[in-house]
Amino acid sequence: MALTGIQIYKLLPKTNCGECGVPTCLAFAMSLAAGKAELAACPYVSEEAKAELADAAAPPIRAVEIGTGERKLKIGGETVLFRHEKTFVNRPGIAVLVTDEMRDEAVGGRLERFKTLAYERVGLTLQADLVAVKSASGDASKFGALTAKVKDETEAGIILMTEDVSVMEAGRKACGDRKPLMYAANKENADGMSALSKEHGCPLAVKGNGLDEVSELTTKLTEEGLHDLVIDSGARGIRKALEDQIFIRRGALLKKYKPLGFPTIAFPCEMTDDLMQESLIASMFVAKYGGIIVLSDLQGYALFPLLLSRMDIYTDPQRPMATSPGVYEVGGPNEDSPVLVTCNFSLTYFIVSGEVEASRVPAWLVVVDTEGLSVLTAWAAGKFVGDLVGTSLKKCGIMDKVGHKKVIIPGYAAAISGDLEDELGDWEVLVGPRESAHIPAYLKEWQP
Amino acid sequence: MALEIPKMSYNGVIKEIPLGKEANPVIVGGETSYPFYLFEGEMPHPPKIAMEVYDAPPEEWAQAALEPFADVINDPAAWAQKCVSSYGAEMVALQLASTDPNAQDNSGEHAVEVTKKVAAAIDVPLIVLGSNNLEKDTEVLKMVAEACAEERLILGPVTEGNYKALGAASLAYHHTIAAGTPIDINQAKQLNILLGNLGVPDERIMVDPTVASLGYGLEYCYSVMERDRMAALTQEDERLQFPIVCNLAKEVWKTKEAKLTEQEAPLLGDPLKRGVLLEAMTALLLLLAGGDILIMRHPDAVQLVRGFMDDLMAN
Amino acid sequence: MSKIICSAAIRGAHKIVERAESKYQEAMEKWGPDQELGFPNTAYYLPIIYGISGIAVKKLSDVKQVLERCRSLLPAQVDEHVWLPYLAPALEAGMATFFAEEIIEAIRYIESPDFYTKTEDPSNGNLWLGAADDVILRKRGVEFVDGTAPGFAAVLGAPPTKEIAVQIAQELQEKNLYVFMGAEHEGRTMSEQLVEAGVQVGWGTRLVSFGPEYTATIFAMGFATRAAMSFGGVKPGDFKSNLLYNKDRIFAFAMPMGTVTDEWYANAAGAINWGFPTIADTPIPEVLPTGICTYEHVVSNVPHDELVTRAIEVRGLKVTVAKVPIPVSYGPAFEGERVRKDDLYLECGGGKTRAVEWATTKDMDEVEDGKIELFGPDVDDVEPGARLPLAIVAEVAGRKMQEDFEPILERQIHHFVNYAQGLMHIGQRDIAWIRMSKAAAGKGLQLKHIGDILHAKFHQDFGAIFDKVQVKLYTEEDKVNEILQKARQAYGHRDTRIEGMTDETTETFYSCTLCQSFAPNHVCIISPERTGLCGAYNWMDCKASNEINPTGPNQPVEKGECLDPKLGQWKGCNAFLYKASRQALDHYNFYTIVHDPMTTCGCCECIAAILPICNGVMTVDRDYPGMTPCGMKFTTLAGTIGGGASVPGFVGHGKYNITQRKWILGDGGIKRLVWMPKRLKEEIGDRLTKRAEEMGIPDLLDKIADETVGVTEEEILPFLEEKGHPALSMDPLLE
Repeated sequence: MALTGIQIYKLLPKTNCGECGVPTCLAFAMSLAAGKAELAACPYVSEEAKAELADAAAPPIRAVEIGTGERKLKIGGETVLFRHEKTFVNRPGIAVLVTDEMRDEAVGGRLERFKTLAYERVGLTLQADLVAVKSASGDASKFGALTAKVKDETEAGIILMTEDVSVMEAGRKACGDRKPLMYAANKENADGMSALSKEHGCPLAVKGNGLDEVSELTTKLTEEGLHDLVIDSGARGIRKALEDQIFIRRGALLKKYKPLGFPTIAFPCEMTDDLMQESLIASMFVAKYGGIIVLSDLQGYALFPLLLSRMDIYTDPQRPMATSPGVYEVGGPNEDSPVLVTCNFSLTYFIVSGEVEASRVPAWLVVVDTEGLSVLTAWAAGKFVGDLVGTSLKKCGIMDKVGHKKVIIPGYAAAISGDLEDELGDWEVLVGPRESAHIPAYLKEWQP
Repeated sequence: MALEIPKMSYNGVIKEIPLGKEANPVIVGGETSYPFYLFEGEMPHPPKIAMEVYDAPPEEWAQAALEPFADVINDPAAWAQKCVSSYGAEMVALQLASTDPNAQDNSGEHAVEVTKKVAAAIDVPLIVLGSNNLEKDTEVLKMVAEACAEERLILGPVTEGNYKALGAASLAYHHTIAAGTPIDINQAKQLNILLGNLGVPDERIMVDPTVASLGYGLEYCYSVMERDRMAALTQEDERLQFPIVCNLAKEVWKTKEAKLTEQEAPLLGDPLKRGVLLEAMTALLLLLAGGDILIMRHPDAVQLVRGFMDDLMAN
Repeated sequence: MSKIICSAAIRGAHKIVERAESKYQEAMEKWGPDQELGFPNTAYYLPIIYGISGIAVKKLSDVKQVLERCRSLLPAQVDEHVWLPYLAPALEAGMATFFAEEIIEAIRYIESPDFYTKTEDPSNGNLWLGAADDVILRKRGVEFVDGTAPGFAAVLGAPPTKEIAVQIAQELQEKNLYVFMGAEHEGRTMSEQLVEAGVQVGWGTRLVSFGPEYTATIFAMGFATRAAMSFGGVKPGDFKSNLLYNKDRIFAFAMPMGTVTDEWYANAAGAINWGFPTIADTPIPEVLPTGICTYEHVVSNVPHDELVTRAIEVRGLKVTVAKVPIPVSYGPAFEGERVRKDDLYLECGGGKTRAVEWATTKDMDEVEDGKIELFGPDVDDVEPGARLPLAIVAEVAGRKMQEDFEPILERQIHHFVNYAQGLMHIGQRDIAWIRMSKAAAGKGLQLKHIGDILHAKFHQDFGAIFDKVQVKLYTEEDKVNEILQKARQAYGHRDTRIEGMTDETTETFYSCTLCQSFAPNHVCIISPERTGLCGAYNWMDCKASNEINPTGPNQPVEKGECLDPKLGQWKGCNAFLYKASRQALDHYNFYTIVHDPMTTCGCCECIAAILPICNGVMTVDRDYPGMTPCGMKFTTLAGTIGGGASVPGFVGHGKYNITQRKWILGDGGIKRLVWMPKRLKEEIGDRLTKRAEEMGIPDLLDKIADETVGVTEEEILPFLEEKGHPALSMDPLLE
């Protein structure tokens, strides 16, 4: 049972010293309760309180970190079965597979695409996170060499794939301090893998034949002091794999069953030979609880949709995605082009800019900071009102870019037209359509 | 310790809705668990794929979407036949996009003519969708309902603004309703209540929750659909126990990324495969959220999703 | 039921059944039992007989059992000395009448195949259309279901002149009603009167000339009966469902014009079975008490110019106004538009003159719907830049109208007037302020049009809660002042009434789930003493909203057994919450911030937070952008606790709620309030002081800190100590 802010507050020093970064202990307690702060940020918390809080705060699914530096990946730590119940927290890692039996060009191509296929979207960079290096030959030196190449050529987190402990050791060495995920411990090699993982502090994946075997393994490894584990239930059929993912998540969350309280790793690359189908399987794991998703290759046409699906599913439902405020050019506008203003709720921005583009009328789109709220909500919340919109219009520089003095506001915000005119002086405020679908028709009538 | 996997206790069932000709109905709905949670429930009627046909030659379509239909875009009836015979469409969705006053503003008479031709050309259920313009849809769909009496069409979107007119028309002429609400579970429920109050029987109602494309707000409808199913199956919310129709293809293919060429966006790769995957992935996610009918466009995407569904259902 | 009417109806029914019997005998002799019998192109046989009794009459021989049924339905003739007859026997007689009349009319189709046109409109000089076939039924029936035609008037006989006939027909058409005409009076039929007057009759104009005889009534009743089977899914023979469907959904009534014969009485009695009342122009006895029909059963002696209005009232029909009839554009797009000084044609209120607006309830007979009157000069009578005093009085009447709805309608005046292009409206009640632009005046906009706006919009948006509205506008100083006095009395009365309501004495609270699209689990329950946290909805608003939209977001919540009077928890509320939050929450408390407080969505006006060091509570409103002593700004607080969770230590609430008696009373009420933004303090200061006086701390306002004192607990604590704030000496807020 998670503690409420007040319950946590009672355990804090109540000094309001501010050293944790927020002004009061109450505010800090609220951040802790929401999982947005770490207890360690408080320098004065008592040992007693620490123990009590840590216990209460221990997530039902362990959060595991792979890699180092900027590309360090955090997976797991999930607390809900359905995203609307709160949110899915840590985006699953997307990995691309290379093996030591692939031709150099094949490996090189994959690493090259790993680096170049990155997409900017609403302030996020969408890209793959991990390279899975697999020993197909069983040769430790070959494995070491390939791993070293991956390490040298990318900043990526690395998954080392071999069930041979000595081969694993070679790969691990080649990783240096990159902190790879070792895949995988099984019934036969668990002792060796366990020792290796413990020695180097690398997270370890567990592969079992079914959830019972997985549970036995994780129980054993946990008892040996390992905590950063990742689970592969072994299923490679779509139906069974989905079932296992659901059982693992339910077991961990609903039953607090510790042996399954770890993130998972899934292998669409081993479930089909067709990259299109593989992408679909991968998107199923995005929606249904995959922690790491390993792909056979990265191609823009397949990776981009997959990254979008991950962005969508892992968007916090209570925190709308926002576009950065400012002036956007659609279709190469000039000084006679119309000026439209809208909110910075990303969905609104996408739709409005899409409709403006569809109109084929070049236009300026001014996006006002509404903290990610839609027009109507922002208006109701006082964030899309005359003075704020007016100030944004004056500051964003649009007034120097056009020769006319007209601005089009969304139909739903008609109520602000008077206030906005007051704010803008001699500008004329035009009320545009209520539905974005009617923008093209509206713009076609535009006269500067 | 061995784990007893916690199973959900469901206490609701999605209603079974027979669609299409009375003699040869296609049934949707009937689920007793979350989508594809077959270890604890049943999906007696796996979701169906309806393929899109347009009432006028589409403008500004991506080459990839246009190519399979290049020979039939001027003939909706032939287009519909091609969907059924060449691509195995289980239903056809006729988009009356050209009736939009902001587009060609084609007349209700035109819509009636096209609908009749398409209906005559196929023997699978026919979904007829307006252009999302309230006044025009009301006018056009009313005419279609009357002119195609006994064709047992599925008419949509029927919204709070026109449910009386279209509800009455579908009662009189025996059509089914796709009740459309803007991504809001309470509004969906309310519209279902209103339709019930109007006298529309339950077996003639489906829910159109308004869906979006991958990358363009898919998460909203995904969650609304999940909540919808949760309420219907576990919380005894009887007025949400209806099959869900997802009108997704037009949302996907109008996005910028579905239209860009490889020259314009080299990082996005092959435009055909990209467009197909954007559509198929959107469809798959909506399936996992609870979709019963997927309205799709590209034959390759249809094939991918159908194959995937088979795998999900496979024993 | 009136004995006279019952006796006459039963007498009439006997005559009609006898007539059917002899027709049947004749027909049997002429064509034999296998002769096919029925109305053209219908799957419903003789629809009343089929719908009510389930008997499908296909051949002449099938008639026998129907006639037997008629006989068994027919009550004995009423003896002058027996006082028994009541509604039931008369209703049965009415039913037998319709069965018999269907038989008579069906036989007519064999006897004279060309008697009726069997078309939608009169053809080849034949006026009489006869039974509507199934094509007409479906096409026209749709309009009954979707409300474009709310119902029909079944006219028997004819008014004295064709001019009156035209007048009545037009009035009925304006209300979108169908006019089903049958029977003659002194040789005249209304159908013929209309044709003589050059009016086009037929289904197309909704003026349906069914037939020349009183038996044609069954074409109207058969249409209604079939509608229930076709659109309501009512099974043949399920008479109860069929009759109820018609009562609830088809707004029809019988309108006999001329001497009411026994046969007419019999038909009228029959129609009552369907819930269709009778409105007559002759002085027949009235049957007022309600029972079968929604309101009265028989209303009589109504002058011709009031017939339609009265009929609509009696049947409970709602008026629809499609368009706001004013010479300028109208719509929400113009709501925010300003009328500036140099563009000003006319100004009322705003401190320069008096302007007052008032919605008030009147009796039904005191209000003539749509009547707009202006007393004093209008726009045309003044020069540009003029000022006038103004009083707007909306007089509202309706069977469902309640005094409590007055403020709800009145507050809408602001929006509705603003929607007109070139009209600006600010304020409300006696601080209203209206400006009209030169452009609007140039297009011919008058003050009187405000009346048209209110009439149209009230009906469009609030038709569910009232039936009629008339608007009076005054622009003469003394008149305006007179209204002002009355209105102020009404405001005062209202305010006291709302303030006098308590949670304890109110059994029904209202939910609001409007915000669930943003906060899926959030459920507001609004009680008289806990106004909605958005500040937009109080208990009364929710009640009205529920009347207007019974399936909408405001649902009645029976509060049920009180589980905790101090913190405010009720069994019924918990049960509702459990369902409406989709099982996310099973209880919360109304009057506390500490113990499982009510959930909060993102749109609350204020958020209160505990201040543990001060042993008190602070609150901050949306408009205050700065830091607060709890260490979080409003936006952070909203982000932390919004979203539909119950978060101990924090609660969202409306500004007004602070000064309601129950605000966090379980924790000590406003005595706990130690900090709030200065502007909010000023805004609610007077009310807060009043409430503080009730609690015995008249100077509480001065003891509450604000941002000028400090924005941390440490900064405000010395101030609280110096002022002797009551919170410091109260029990610990957190145990």
